[in-house]
Amino acid sequence: MLQKLLIAGTIYVLIIIGLAMYSRKGERTSKNYLMAGSSIGSLIGMFTFAASLFSTFTLMGMPDFFRVHGVGAWIFLAFSDALMVFGVIWFGYYLRKSVKENNHEYLGMAGYMEKRFESKWVGYLMFFGVFIFLVPYVAIQIRGVSIFLNQAFPEALPLWAWAVGLVFVMLVYSELGGLKAIIYSDILQGALLLVVVWIIGVFCLRSFGGMEEMFNQVEAKNSALLSAPGPKGLFSLQFFIGSAMGIMLLPFTQPHISTRIMIMKDNKSLYRMALGLGFFAILVILPTAFIGMYGAVNYADLSPAEFLGKTLITDQPEMIAVLVTIGLIAAAISTSDSLLFALGGEMRSLLKGEDAEMLKWARVAIVVFGLVSLVFALLSNDQLVLLARTSFAGTSILAPLIFTGILSKNPAARKWLAIPTLLGLLIFIGSSLNVLPKSFVGVRAEIIIPIVLGVLALGANYVVKDK
Amino acid sequence: MKNKIWKICCALVIIIGVLTLTPLVIPEGVHQPELMGMPYTLWMGIVVSLLLWVITYVGILVHPGKND
Repeated sequence: MLQKLLIAGTIYVLIIIGLAMYSRKGERTSKNYLMAGSSIGSLIGMFTFAASLFSTFTLMGMPDFFRVHGVGAWIFLAFSDALMVFGVIWFGYYLRKSVKENNHEYLGMAGYMEKRFESKWVGYLMFFGVFIFLVPYVAIQIRGVSIFLNQAFPEALPLWAWAVGLVFVMLVYSELGGLKAIIYSDILQGALLLVVVWIIGVFCLRSFGGMEEMFNQVEAKNSALLSAPGPKGLFSLQFFIGSAMGIMLLPFTQPHISTRIMIMKDNKSLYRMALGLGFFAILVILPTAFIGMYGAVNYADLSPAEFLGKTLITDQPEMIAVLVTIGLIAAAISTSDSLLFALGGEMRSLLKGEDAEMLKWARVAIVVFGLVSLVFALLSNDQLVLLARTSFAGTSILAPLIFTGILSKNPAARKWLAIPTLLGLLIFIGSSLNVLPKSFVGVRAEIIIPIVLGVLALGANYVVKDK
Repeated sequence: MKNKIWKICCALVIIIGVLTLTPLVIPEGVHQPELMGMPYTLWMGIVVSLLLWVITYVGILVHPGKND
């Protein structure tokens, strides 16, 4: 099997590097390299958005989440994603309109906020916020797949070598071809993700002989999986609210997704892309529920890596197992490269000077971010979904500042909002590291901090009058 | 008229969003009634997701900035 995987993996890597070489044509400016010329249509837009959004976290984390915590996982992700999609058409319009009206060449949210608030400190704060929460998010993609590969092929390579290989491949092709290369490979990766997750999902469902029998067996094994809050009590109301807030705000708070709103060629393409994405989300998440239920019945007591190794590899015919492995690698790469690239874009948006020179620095930064993520990947823990959720919740703290920048007529008069935002970020980091309490006045930190900042931002609009 | 429908879509998304987080969709420890063998929270969650998708579809048809 390892031999077949190496052949398929080599073909896959050659295809994406070929796509990267193909993307190199044309003038190399920041707009072309970091924003793919900002002329993406709805179908390509949907695939690149989906591939950036649905990652290892979806393909590996969600089945395990269903297996351990039960059907409430649907509300956690699918419901939150549906709200997010509506948010893309609701506020995505205002973001694009604001950028257009201010005659700004968008390369990243940090640079745009710097311009709107007329403060370089606001730009730095934005960069700090996304860096601190996105690097761990990249790291868990790399770690998730590396653990899986190490589990599936223990004699082949050590965990760190898989991680180094993944980072190397994604840096090579994204450095070569820029965002266009990432978008081309996203189409391949998005389609692969959908096919793979359904093949495994249908296999799991058929192994029970149908939906009804599957849930009967889950009920017999552990009936708490069939409702919220789940066997471990994770799915509380506050957990759902915090998750929905974090995920809904992703298109504005996580730069790889904001970039995909901005690169659409017009609003009509943006809206069609969002609609396609909504359906894609349902299609991708549904089979992860079947895989999770299969694990709940057959592999309830195994570790996440053991469960995934057995379900996705051992229980499958060899060719399917190879396809799944390539699909997993593709999912991890497509999200991680988008994130690293977006961090490079955020940095470029803050740099002033001759474009070619600044772009060079941004490309160096992408390599540095990749290496930092690699180190973090080797040190982080294995709770993929919960770490991803921390990343979503952490960046959501930036939302009130971002929405003030987009919607306010005079954000510069409200630049002081950066101070409470910084405080909010530090409190959330302290809370995540167990240095500070997880809740304040009985409300979880990831809910209360954005709400307090939102109230401050709204209040600022009434108290501080525009000249 | 289109503007009014757009506002109704926004309001519906907010209302459905709030209702989904109540025992109407996630009753604690209850998995009946089932639909095609699926527990209540799962099939209601799928219905809510599809409903939000339909509202999004109507939303893009009437969005005030559609032709900008």
